[in-house]
Amino acid sequence: MLGKIWSVLHKDLLIELRTKDSLNAMLFFGIVVLVVFNFALESVRETIRAAVPGVLWVSFAFSGTLGLNRMFASEKENSCLQGLLMLPVDRGIIYLGKTLAVTVFMLITEVVIFVFCLVFFNLEVWREIPYLAMVFVIGTLGFAAVGTLLAAVSVNTRMREVLLPLLLFPVVLPILVNAVEATHIILNSVEYGALRLPLTIMSVFTIVFGTLSYLLFDFVLED
Amino acid sequence: MESERDIMGPNPMSYLFAAYAAVWIILAAYLFSIHARKKKLRREIERLKRRLDPGT
Amino acid sequence: MNPEARRRLDTVLGALLAAAMLLALYMALLQAPRERTMGDLQRIFYFHVPAGITGLIAFAVNFFASLAYLIKKDRKWDGLALAAAEIGVVFLAIVLVTGPIWAKPVWLVWWTWSPRLTSALVLWLLYVAYLLVRNYVADPDRKAVAAAVFGVVAFVDAPIVWFSIRWWRDIHPSPMLESGALAPEMRPALWVCIGAFMLLFVYLMRRRVSLETARRDVEELHSRADLGQ
Repeated sequence: MLGKIWSVLHKDLLIELRTKDSLNAMLFFGIVVLVVFNFALESVRETIRAAVPGVLWVSFAFSGTLGLNRMFASEKENSCLQGLLMLPVDRGIIYLGKTLAVTVFMLITEVVIFVFCLVFFNLEVWREIPYLAMVFVIGTLGFAAVGTLLAAVSVNTRMREVLLPLLLFPVVLPILVNAVEATHIILNSVEYGALRLPLTIMSVFTIVFGTLSYLLFDFVLED
Repeated sequence: MESERDIMGPNPMSYLFAAYAAVWIILAAYLFSIHARKKKLRREIERLKRRLDPGT
Repeated sequence: MNPEARRRLDTVLGALLAAAMLLALYMALLQAPRERTMGDLQRIFYFHVPAGITGLIAFAVNFFASLAYLIKKDRKWDGLALAAAEIGVVFLAIVLVTGPIWAKPVWLVWWTWSPRLTSALVLWLLYVAYLLVRNYVADPDRKAVAAAVFGVVAFVDAPIVWFSIRWWRDIHPSPMLESGALAPEMRPALWVCIGAFMLLFVYLMRRRVSLETARRDVEELHSRADLGQ
């Protein structure tokens, strides 16, 4: 089973690495969002560092949505979806492969956006990197777990790219709230014990929605 | 003579009224919406029935 | 149930509902004791809270109906789910409108990011999104599946949302906190109001589901008419 997941994942990764279409768009958009926030928060220049966790995750969420849209849109455009469905593979496997692919793309984007953030906002975070990595990975996995399901739902509708953010953002709020808090705790050197609750909620969210999406994915792709 | 209204601020009872009025208005609007949609559908059903069975 | 019996039941239900709402109004505005700090303004509570409870019940109905549709693929479950979601949105709208009307004179702000109001807002957004999904899918079967999937996701998400917001508010406390315990003298009024709203919910569900059944009939007639041409 792991082998099958790997092949789905591998295919998406290869396609992306060859063209880099999605990655470029996600990166560019994420950085633009950072810059826009910089201007938007001009009036609170002194306290702008406090806003960094929120700005970071909003940027991640927006660029992640872009990536999710691309994940299924390109398949739809080239009618690859039918081909994929004809494979004797459990739909759930397709879901897992795609979710992991989206997670990888988002993590790559997030690292780059984060580096730009360090520069733009003059931060120093060397010791905190392992904790940040943990938050980024769990948060992104949770986001992708629900996002992949909802992207599959959206791609078959009239509104496509417009529908996904409408559906995704309200659902993914718990991840965003907890990820922002966790990032804030790490970046502002609040006592690390406080990390346990947000990380727990984020993990619960990821496991619950990963399982639920795995089970529901069958229904969504029936064409 | 001076009314209390000139001295005190907005009457707290007006907020109470506004809240209950809002409840009634929202519910009434929804009920009306169901009713209007039902009427439109009934007309559509009649029209389709006549098309399918011109004898009626 | 034949149409005649159904109409009679609806009339009885309607009459019962009118009586219940009148009783609820009496209990809330006259029978219930005056609150110590907020005065008569607090009486908004007696419609604000039952609306919220009924909204939650509506969404639970949507969850089970969505699951039932995914398993059985019978469209009558889809109709039930849609009705429940729509009515839930209406009830939560009542919560979101009466909340600020209550907050403004008491806490001097229209909106407080309190756990209850914020969760109500997110829940409202989730189910408005549910209704939008239905709008944006053309094919009726695909629409039902997409909506059902989202309905299940939204309901599973709801407790996690509530918990996250509650915890977030604990970390960032605001000066305005929602009152916890309820004075025992206020309980009869609250229960009567909850009962009246339950009845209202049943009544609205019956009307909305019958509307949906009629719509499915039209759909079927349409396809027959198109085939006949």
